[in-house]
Amino acid sequence: MRFQDAAQDARAITYAAIQAEPVVAQAAALLADATPAQRVLARAVMNGETLDPDGWRTMFPTLFGPTVEPSARERSEAILTVSLAIADRGDQTRNQLRGALVESLSVELLGRRVSAAGVRRERRILFDGVRAEIHPYDVTVERAGAAEAYDCKWGARGINADVLHQLEDARANAEAEGEVLRVALVVFDAELSCRVRLERQTAPHDRSGLVTLESLGSLSS
Amino acid sequence: MAPSSRSLAGMDGVTTLGDQARDALAAYEDLASLAEDIEDEWTYVTELHAAWRERIEELIDERGTESVTTLEEAAISRAVDEIGRISDPHRAIDWLSTFPQIVLVTLGERS
Repeated sequence: MRFQDAAQDARAITYAAIQAEPVVAQAAALLADATPAQRVLARAVMNGETLDPDGWRTMFPTLFGPTVEPSARERSEAILTVSLAIADRGDQTRNQLRGALVESLSVELLGRRVSAAGVRRERRILFDGVRAEIHPYDVTVERAGAAEAYDCKWGARGINADVLHQLEDARANAEAEGEVLRVALVVFDAELSCRVRLERQTAPHDRSGLVTLESLGSLSS
Repeated sequence: MAPSSRSLAGMDGVTTLGDQARDALAAYEDLASLAEDIEDEWTYVTELHAAWRERIEELIDERGTESVTTLEEAAISRAVDEIGRISDPHRAIDWLSTFPQIVLVTLGERS
């Protein structure tokens, strides 16, 4: 098993430009240490229709109410600001930024558990005698004997057969080579929604992990 | 389950958690109807809708007679208003998951 950079095609260039938007790194840094409720706020705002910050403050009294600790409120305000900056983009850019955010957040959290140099983005995984997948894996942890591969999604709806097959194929191919490759989906959505989505999927996923809005912290511990 | 110390069941003019959650569910029905316009996702939409509705109905069963604060009432009302703005069925699918999470954060995390 070996890892390789994705081809520098038009998709990769577009992806790199989106990833380089400062708002992506800002949001990822804030959400890495956010509470579950703050992550729900971010998801709602970035999915939302309104750009009125007071409307969102009203909608989340547990984050902005009068009894909230100032430091917690300050973080919620920062999350609201950066989420509105992403929401205030055209639909296509908003979708791209949200996807990039989930990847950046995963990289940020994984980098707290393993050497940051070992956490990579947009990498293909190659196996002897197996035709390589065209699409790279969103995030990989590349270390001997304990490699990991993640596919990152903004919402549960992004879970589909192609994604599940790609993860399972990599895991099975690694196993055939006597290697360990942990594979998982990272979804910035509620576990319940992901479970509903997975329930109907016939593609193999019993040995793929699932990291959701509630369990993002597991990436770093 | 015995009513909690905040139970106001039966008192006129008092908004209970059950009232708020049922209002939220009514709006959620409309959201699901919009999301069902995406035919390829019909099964997912109906199952997602049913799963979250069940979760909120459990909350009503457990704590429906409790009172809600004016902040909580305003929060749910504002969230209902937000999903009322949605006209794109794809975005409605996103909100089928997001809206109940907001309701639960507002009502479900209170000790």
